[in-house]
Formats: sequence, C-alpha cells, structure tokens
Amino acid sequence: MKDKIERLIQEKLVREAEVNTRRHFIKSCAQGMGGIALSSIFMGCDPLGKPKTNSSMGFSERDLNPLATLSPPYAPKVKSVIYLHMAGAPSQLEMFDYKPQLQKYDGQDCPQSLLEGKKFAFIKGTPKLLGPQAEFKQEGESGNWVSNFLPHFKKVVDEVAFLKAVNTDQFNHGPAQLFMHTGSPRLGRPSIGAWATYGLGSENQNLPGFVVLTSGGNSPDAGKSVWGSGFLPSVYQGVQCRSKGDPVLYIEDPEGITRDLKKNTIKTINEINKKEYAKYADPEILARINQYEMAYRMQIAVPEVMNINSEPEHIKQMYGVEPGKESFANNCLLARKLVEDGVRFVQLFDWGWDTHGNIREGSIDLGLRNKCREIDRPITALILDLKQRGLLDDTLIVWGGEFGRTPMQENRGNKKMAYKGRDHHGDAFTMWMAGGGIKKGASFGQTDDIGFSAVEGRVSVHDVHATILHLLGFDHEQFTYEFQGRNFRLTDVEGEIIKEILA
Amino acid sequence: MDVLKQLLGRLHPLVVHLPIGFIILGLLLQWYDRKTKHHNAVISLIYLWAGTFAILACITGYLQYMGEGYSFDTVKWHLWAGIATAIFSFVMYYKVKGSKAFAPISKIPMGILSFIFLFLISFTGHLGGNITHGEDYLIEPLPNSVRSALGFDTYEDKEIALNEDNWSESLIYEDVVAPILNNRCVSCHNPKKNKGELLLDSAEGMLKGGESGETLLAQNAEKSELFKRMNLPVSDEDHMPPEEKTQPSKEELLLIGAWLDAGHPFEGTIGEAGMAKELFEPFFPKKHDFDYPDIEVAEAPIDSINVIKKNNIHVDRISKGTNFLTVSCINDPSFTDADFELLQPIAQQIAVLDLGGTQVTDAIFEKLAILPHLTVLKIDNTQVTGTNIGLLAPSNYLKLINLTATKFQKVHLNALEQFKALKKVYLYRTGIDASGVKTLNNGQIIIDYGDYQLPPIPADTIIY
Repeated sequence: MKDKIERLIQEKLVREAEVNTRRHFIKSCAQGMGGIALSSIFMGCDPLGKPKTNSSMGFSERDLNPLATLSPPYAPKVKSVIYLHMAGAPSQLEMFDYKPQLQKYDGQDCPQSLLEGKKFAFIKGTPKLLGPQAEFKQEGESGNWVSNFLPHFKKVVDEVAFLKAVNTDQFNHGPAQLFMHTGSPRLGRPSIGAWATYGLGSENQNLPGFVVLTSGGNSPDAGKSVWGSGFLPSVYQGVQCRSKGDPVLYIEDPEGITRDLKKNTIKTINEINKKEYAKYADPEILARINQYEMAYRMQIAVPEVMNINSEPEHIKQMYGVEPGKESFANNCLLARKLVEDGVRFVQLFDWGWDTHGNIREGSIDLGLRNKCREIDRPITALILDLKQRGLLDDTLIVWGGEFGRTPMQENRGNKKMAYKGRDHHGDAFTMWMAGGGIKKGASFGQTDDIGFSAVEGRVSVHDVHATILHLLGFDHEQFTYEFQGRNFRLTDVEGEIIKEILA
Repeated sequence: MDVLKQLLGRLHPLVVHLPIGFIILGLLLQWYDRKTKHHNAVISLIYLWAGTFAILACITGYLQYMGEGYSFDTVKWHLWAGIATAIFSFVMYYKVKGSKAFAPISKIPMGILSFIFLFLISFTGHLGGNITHGEDYLIEPLPNSVRSALGFDTYEDKEIALNEDNWSESLIYEDVVAPILNNRCVSCHNPKKNKGELLLDSAEGMLKGGESGETLLAQNAEKSELFKRMNLPVSDEDHMPPEEKTQPSKEELLLIGAWLDAGHPFEGTIGEAGMAKELFEPFFPKKHDFDYPDIEVAEAPIDSINVIKKNNIHVDRISKGTNFLTVSCINDPSFTDADFELLQPIAQQIAVLDLGGTQVTDAIFEKLAILPHLTVLKIDNTQVTGTNIGLLAPSNYLKLINLTATKFQKVHLNALEQFKALKKVYLYRTGIDASGVKTLNNGQIIIDYGDYQLPPIPADTIIY
C-alpha cells in the first residue's frame, strides 16, 4: 500500500515535471542540488514498470534506448502495422456494404421503429431513406462485394478480410476517432501505435518507431491525441512526417550550422552528460545521450526514407504519386518504404470523408467518388507492392473510418439538402484488414436489409484492437501499464479477438 | 411467530462468530498468562460468555435447520459438535475458575483441555462452513494434481481429441459432448453436489431433468433449458455456469446447441449424427504456423547474444514462449560473409534471419547450411546469384526465402526443386522473366515474381 502511494506521488511529480520541463530544468540547474532531486524524480518513470538488470551496468538496454526491441509474449503473425484511417467516416453503403433492398425504399420515410432511442449528429424528425449511389459487383474468387467507386481495389479483394458490422458508440468525429485509436473517447489514453512501440520497440535505430502521415488538407478532428502516447512515456508518441517540404519540422540544420559543427556540438554536450552520469549514475542521462545520437542519425536517415523520388518510375506510376505535394498516394508509397526499413507502426490519416451532402465535395455521389479515386489506386498498389516484396507476410494493413454513415439521407435542420448525403452512424459500418495472419477473402458480419444495424457478427472497436494486438503477439488482457494506481489496457475491460478473420 | 423463528435462524451465521471469538481470545489469554496466572478471573468470565453465546448459537442454528429445509444428515455433525462446544465452554469455565465441582476434570492437565477446546471450535466452524459454501470450498482452488492426490474427484481433466482425418468417426456424446459438460458443468451437477437437482454426468440424469423441469428438448436447442441457460448473458442470474466459474467457449456453446438440434444423440458417431464439420474444426489440434520449428531448443548463451548486439545486429527471441531467435542486420548494412562467424554460437536457435541489404555473397549459403532450424531467410537486396543455394535443400524447416532485388539466376531454380520444406520464394526484381514457372515440386513451392501492374484506366482521370 505504502509503495503504491509513493508511486502515485512520483507519478504526479513526473507529470508536473513534464508540463514545465524547461523552466523546471533551468531552475533545478541554478539551484545545483535541484538537479539531484530531478534525477530521483525521473527514476520513477521506468518505461517497463520494473527495473531490469540484464546489462553489465545494472540497467537494461531499454533504459538507454526506449525503442530497443523486445520479444512479444506470444508468437507474432506480423511485425509492422499500416493503419489507413479515412477521417470523416467513409460511407460503407457506397463502397462495400451492398444493400439492394435500400434502393427499393429510396425516397420513403424511414420507419419510426428504427429512429426510436437513437441519436444522430444532424438528422431531425423523420428522414427519408437513400438508396446506394454506387453500382456493386461481386469480385474475385471470394465473391465479396465492391462498388464501382473502387475499380482498382476489386483486383485485390481476395487479399483482404472484411468486417461488415463494426460498432462504435460515438457519433461525433473527435471522440469517435479517439475511441478508434486509443480505446477511449476521452483524452489521455495511448494510441495503438504507442502501445505497439512501447511493447515491441522498433528495429531501425535511425528512424522513429511510430510514424504518422496525413493527407487531405487537414489533420484529424481529434487532433494529435489520436497518435499520442497518453500515460506512456512520451517517447512512444507518433512522429508526424510530411510528404511535402521538410519531412520532420526543424530536422534540417539551421543556416550556418554545418554537419561537422553539429557533430562537435553533440559530442561536447554528450561529454558533459557523461561527466554528469559519472557523478549521479542516473540512467536517464544515458538515455538522453542516446537520443542526441539518434536525432543526429535521423537527420540523414529520415530525409532519405521520406524521399519518394528515388523510387523507379513504374512504382511511382503504380501508386499514382504526386511528388512535392501532400497526397494520400505519396503517403502509401512512404508507408511501404518505412515498413521496409523496419518502422513498427505507420499511421495514415486522409481527411475529407465527411459526406453530409451540404456541399458538393461532401456529396455521396460526387465528392465521395473523388475521394474514392484518390485512395483506390494507392491502396491497391500498396497491397500489391508489399506482396511482391514479401512484406505482406509480416505486415498488417487496417482500413476504416471512425464510424459509418446512415442509410437515410441527411435532413439537417429538417430541410432538404443541396446534395445527396448521409449522416454519422456508428451502429454498423465496414472495416477491412489484410496481411499476415489474416484469412484472405473472408467477410465477417452482416447488416440488415437497409444497412442500419448488425444482424450477425457484430464486433466492437475493442474487438478490432484485441485482434490487432493478437497479431502483434500480445494478449490484450495481459498487456498493461500501471498508471494512477491501476493497470490500464488498450481494450479497457472489453474486447474479444475476431477469430473469424484470422487464418 | 414463524417469521420470527426464521429471522432468528438466519442470524445464526452472525451469532456463531461470537463464541468463536471469545474462545480464541480465552485460549490466547491462557497462553499469554501460562506462567503468572494473573488473569484466571478474566479468562473464566470469557469462557462463561463463550458458553452463553454458544447456547444462543445452538438455538439459532437449530431454528435455521428447521426453517431452511436442510436434511438432518447434512447438519447432524455440525449440530452435535456445536452442542459439544457449548458444553465444553462451561467445563472450561469451571476448570479455570478452579471449581472442584467436576472431580475427574480437575485431574486432566489444562494444556490437554485447551487443545481439545481449540479442536472442537475449529471442527465445528469448519463443518458449518462446509454447509454454506460446499464441501469442496477449500479444495476447489487447488490444482487438479493436488486435488486428486488428496483423494478428491476432479472434473476438469477430459480433453476433446478430434482430428482432421477421422473426426466423423468419433463418438458424438462420449468424445465431444460429455467432455464439454464434464469440464464446465459436472463439478456442481454431480451425484454428490446435485445443484438444482440436476445431474449432467450421465444420459439418465440429463433426460430426467432438474428443479426447473426438462433440460433437453430434442431438435430444439433454443427451448432446451441446458442451452438457454448457457446462452443467457453472463450477468443474468439464471446464466450457467455461474459468473465466477470458467465459461464454455463460443465454439463449445455452438456445439452443444447443434447437438441438441440434432436430437441429442447419446450413441453413435459424429458422422451418423449428421453434424457439420465446421462445428468440430475448432477442436482439431492447432496447426503450428509460426516462423520457427515446432520443437524445443536450449536457450542461446546470453554472452554470445550480448556480443552480437554490440555489433549492431538485432537478436530477439521470437516470443517469450520460445528460445528460437529472430536475427536482423537492418542496422548493419556492412555485414559481410566473414561476420557470419559472430552468429555461430547461436546457430541452433536462429529461426528467422534477415540479411537484407547487406554485403553477403553466394559464399554465405555454405555457412547458412549450419543453421539446423532456419525457417525464414531474407536475403533480399544483396549480390547473391543463387550459386550453392542448393546446400540449404536438406533443411527440414526452411519454408520461405526472400530473394527480392538480387542477382538470382534462373538456372538455380532447379536447385530449389530439391528443397524439403520450402513453400514460398520471392524473386521480384531479379531480372527473371515473370512468365516462368509459378510453382515447383507439384505446387509445394510457390514462386512470386512480383512485378504487378496497375495499368491506367479511364476512371483514374474522371473528376466528379
């Protein structure tokens, strides 16, 4: 009990220190003795929860390098994850969930029984049902349905496993995105990528373990918390890289600072740090030395891996990249390069899928089709490119949004909208996964005749998380981090592995 | 009056703790006071109270036995032991007080009497606990091995052994249904415990049903009490097994349902019952489908691992559950054939080896042949041409070779033909014509030449 309370106090101090690190640091240095206090505070922030002593110096490789690789508890099926998130929520009814019956009811009032007790973001009164705006065909040997909005994707349909009835209890973008990526609709929890890098580390010592790439002109509504590290040490948060301009902000040396000068600066700083370490023997100082060195190496490695121009022309054409611009296609090609170079978790966000029908870009028959075109070729190319390099065996691709869209046409303010659109809908929507350990061509879950609710194989966001962790070699119930006096899990107290889509 | 009796009866579990407390207090005080004997007056008073409350406990206990419908057989030992404890409390009272009322007692040493007293109160309490919590309350948490060593029945040791080849010849009840019920239900629904007056350890018991009537309804799982209860939400009061017990898996539940729908046959094979194969597949032995052999190997020497790590080569156990290692030179592109010497000490443990992007040449194949458990070999983006790759052919485990972006020569495809366990070879960007053979060894080895194309289509340029 006593040590729990002490732990809590230490944790609080660490949090405080994180909030005003710089001021704290200067103050501590000025006071001399304060430095010792700070080092003892940081001792409580052991990334593994318990000190490991397998190195000759009495602390683990992890103390020195928080991204050092660790073995997963169970045999993994994949080494890396590429998570493709369509921010704004794509319409499953125009892409994968074929509902011919809905066409029949097009324009009719939505039955009251469906609306009772339901909350919608914008729909008021009695909305009218809206038939699918795309044409569907069964594709591949699996015979899974794909719409004509995705003419390339149908060629790889046998590689993926669909989840047709994913359920979320959130109907606004921010909370729903947080839920999808951190397992909780409220702030403060680590994202999937942070959990993965915390649990496994990352192989390439010159690159971050968790990279985030965004496209579509905007960041996700939930902000950077969707790739945050929550209560995990902040070294595990996603590093946002850009496909346009500097890949990482401020990675280039400032004007007038040569690589040699930088090297000497870091050398000097590290020498001072080494003396400091000799005095206080605080492993945190060694970790800092290590990170200065890693940052120095990254200055070369990151621009190299983020340069898509070095790829052969036919590969660039395959993805449909637009060098020099911010595009989803560029990001897909980068995702492959990063995974090829041993990055653990690559998170892509593409903004602009919120098709309410209030503007042309947000219409289900026009704007959505443009968005589909922007992802169709790149995603197909990504799957094929990973496959031909033998990387798809070790990589998991996850595709989805934060929720789905209603079978009803949106009637914001009880008026007819300018364009055809659908409201937010979390009862049942489609996601898919592909790669190592996934049953190729599977389809699990079914929605009712109009695609409103699940009738079979309903899975939750926690189930999706449990499945991702399972493929990485974790038991989601055992993979925990102690914070504020209790153990936290990505899946909280829920989640079941979706065995139906596993090979 | 009946209400009062029942209420008083239900106070028994509360009241019994008073004499227990007093007696233990008295015994402790006696021990503490064994030399000086200063507190005899207090101790005797404590035993007087103990006796008084023991009588009260006996009365409430009797009322509870009458009011709650216990059979006399269930409670008799507890009842007699309780009365004996009450009487003995008074014996101790007089003894400590130094009364000469019972001459024979005064001759027995105090120590012996105290031990008898301690035994009596413990035994009585234990018997009482058995009635409320069940006889195996303390035994249940023990591991099966300890339980059977202590001579208790164990109900959790039946395995469902089915396999791909002759699943349909297994007996539906004896080999499948009975083990599930045995593992999940019989620890309560057996002749000894007989919870809900239902026996699930035999066909007769199941057909007879229990307190709630019929348990099995042929061809109707949905209405069968057995299946209905197991299917209720775990939080439901009527759900079986109770929330705190191990729950059957989804697959087991489906199987019980299907068995009821098939008319709950107690005889005959699965094939005769006409049940679908998917139902049984989850019970087939799990295929070992990981990147290391399905055998045990000794732990790799930690010193060698540290040396390898110092050379910037990744070495990790594939999972915490195996000693097999995955080794990667991703951070050491200068790795050459000569550097392979470093890996010699862990040759037994290497299962996954990633030499992608290093300086290795064809000379490496001769060295790789000493790795008996190599399962996955990534040697992409190197200068190898495939000369001598045939040296790896005898490997029992090597199932995947990635030769992407190497100088691999078409002539060496023949050598691959001889590989024992090989399943997949990646040959993208080797310059070998993708129109060549797609499989070797009658389809055992799949060759992926890659070079997938996505030709432009009109839809690529249509903007809506």
